[in-house]
Amino acid sequence: MSTAHINIDDFGMGAVSLAGSLAAKLAVVRDAGFAQIMLSARDVAEHPGGVDAAARAIRGSGLRVTGFEALSDFEGLAGRLHAYKVDVAKAMLEMCAAIGAKVLLVASSTSVHASGDEDAIARDLRKLAMLAVPFGIRIAYEGLSWGRSVRDFAAAWDAVCRADAPNLGIAIDSFHTFAAQAPLDDLEMLSPEGIFVVKLADFMWPEARTDEERISTDRHHRVFPGEGAHSEALADLVTRLDALGYRGDYCFDVYNDDYARMPAATVAERARRSAIWLAEDVLRRSVPLPNQIRLRRTAG
Amino acid sequence: MTEAADRELIADASNPLGLDGIEFIEYSTSKPQALGQVLEMMGFRPIAKHRSREVLLYRQGDMNVVVNAHFAGLPRSARPSEVPVIAAVALRVRDAAAAYRYAIDRGAWAVPTHVEVMELNIPAIHGVGTSRVYFVDRYREFSIYDVDFTLIPTVDPHPPALAGMRWFGIVQYIGNDRMDDWTEFYAELFGFRKLPDTVRHGILPKGHVLQSPCGKFFLQLIEPKPGILDVEPEECLQRVGLGTPDVLKAVAALRERGVGFVESQGVHSDPRGALTQSYLGGVMFELVHDERP
Repeated sequence: MSTAHINIDDFGMGAVSLAGSLAAKLAVVRDAGFAQIMLSARDVAEHPGGVDAAARAIRGSGLRVTGFEALSDFEGLAGRLHAYKVDVAKAMLEMCAAIGAKVLLVASSTSVHASGDEDAIARDLRKLAMLAVPFGIRIAYEGLSWGRSVRDFAAAWDAVCRADAPNLGIAIDSFHTFAAQAPLDDLEMLSPEGIFVVKLADFMWPEARTDEERISTDRHHRVFPGEGAHSEALADLVTRLDALGYRGDYCFDVYNDDYARMPAATVAERARRSAIWLAEDVLRRSVPLPNQIRLRRTAG
Repeated sequence: MTEAADRELIADASNPLGLDGIEFIEYSTSKPQALGQVLEMMGFRPIAKHRSREVLLYRQGDMNVVVNAHFAGLPRSARPSEVPVIAAVALRVRDAAAAYRYAIDRGAWAVPTHVEVMELNIPAIHGVGTSRVYFVDRYREFSIYDVDFTLIPTVDPHPPALAGMRWFGIVQYIGNDRMDDWTEFYAELFGFRKLPDTVRHGILPKGHVLQSPCGKFFLQLIEPKPGILDVEPEECLQRVGLGTPDVLKAVAALRERGVGFVESQGVHSDPRGALTQSYLGGVMFELVHDERP
C-alpha cells in the first residue's frame, strides 16, 4: 500500500538523531515528508554562520519548529546560581525567538544545588514563563526520570499547576515515562491544554532501574517508536493522550549513537516509518484532523 | 512600634510598585517635526529640548509626551521609522529602583541604559514588541525633565489641557491566543487587574480592559479579528486614550484645530468616545468619556 497519502503533519522529526550540518538535517527531514522538526540549542549555536544564519536556514526550510530544547537545571537555585541560570534562560529564549520556535523545552533539574521546595520550583517556573511572554514563547516543563525532585509527568504537572501561568505547561516524554515506570493512569488528571508537546522514543531493554542506567540509555540507546521493547505501552500512551483530547504536536526525541553514524536520510526514513505506524495503526489518522486548520479560540 | 517593612507590606499588597499613573508617553520617529504638528493639533505644546539628543518634550495639563528621533542602538530597540510608534510608557512609582527590582525578580527583561554625563538613569524594562516601560519616582517635588531637558524660552511650561483631557489609557494590539499571556504579564509585574467584560469604556468595545492598581489608567488588549490565520500579527502599543469629561466638546475643540475624526457606520463620535483619523501612517488618539475626579 502506498503511504504517500498518510498524514504525519503532527509528528516532528528530532534533529538530535541525525548526523550532519543543520542545512543537511533540514533537507533530510523535509525530504522524508515531515512538516516539522524539533531542534536543539546546539543545532543553532554550532552553526558556522552563527545564530542569524541558522535562523535564516530554518525559516527558509519551510519546516515548522516543533520546539527548542532544552533548558536544564533551571529551577530551585538561589543567589548567584539562579542569576546565572536566568542569563542562560534568556539566551535560549532569544535563540528560540530567532528561529521562530514557539515552545521552549525545560528539563527538570538534576542539580544537587537545587532545592526540592515546591514553592521555590513554582516561583522559578513562573518567572521563566513571564520572561517568555514578550516573545510569545510557551514553556514546556518535563520531568527527567533521574530528576532531583521532579521525575515524571505527574510531578511536572503538579509543579506547573502550582506555578499557574498561561504559557506554562508540560512536555511528556515516553522514554522517561517508561524508565520511571510512571503509571499511565496518571494521565487522567491532566487537561490536554496543559500538555504543550509529547516527545516519543523507546529503548531496547525492558527497564532502566538505576539513574546511571537511565542516563546512559537516554543519551545513547533511544530508538524510534515501534522499534523498541515498549511498543505496546507507547501505543497505549498515545491512544490515551488522544482520548484525553490532546491535539498538539508529537516529536521524536531519539538520541542514538548508531543513528549518529548512519546516513541521515536512512535515519529519517526510519522515523517516517515510525510516524506512519503511529498515525495509521495507532491513531488511525487517514484524514487530517480538524486541528490542522488553525481555528482560534473564542476570546473569553 | 510598627517596623517600616511591615508597614509597607501591609500598605502595598494591591499596588506592589506604588504605581501612580503615567509620567510620559514616548514616541519614536525619524520625522519628529511632523509628529510635533500632529501633537500640537491635539493640544500639546512643545516645552523643552533634551540636552544631548534629538528629543522634544510636549505637554498639556498633566500629560507629557516625549518625541524621540534619537537611535540608541540598544538590543530589541527599533530604529526610528517615518511612521511614529509608541516606544515607551513611563510609569510613576513610589520607588523606581524598587519597582525595577520587583519587576526583574518576576521575569521582566532589563533594558540596558546609556546615560550621558549629568543625565538621569531612568530604570527600564522591555514591554511589548520593541517598546519599553520606564519607572519614574521623581514627579512630586521636582521633575525628571529639569535634569535632562532645557526649557524652550518664552513658552508656558504648564499649558492647560484642552477640554480637560488627561491620560485614560493605552491600547495594545496582541497576537492570536495571547490574551491570557499578557493579562498575566501585567498582573504579575505591575499588579494590573482585568475588569469584567461588562465594564466598557469609549466606543470601541473590543478586547479586554486591565485597570492599573492605582486606578488612574487602563490597558486595553485587542486580539486580531477572528478567522483562519497563518500569519502572526505584530504586537505593539497601538494608540493612547485620552479621558475627557465631555467628549463632544473635546471633539468640537479638536475639529477647530484641524483634527479629523473617524465617522463611519461602525465607529463615530458620540458622548462615550471618539477616534481621530490616523496621521502619518498610524498615529491616532481615542477620546473616552471620563468623569473621574
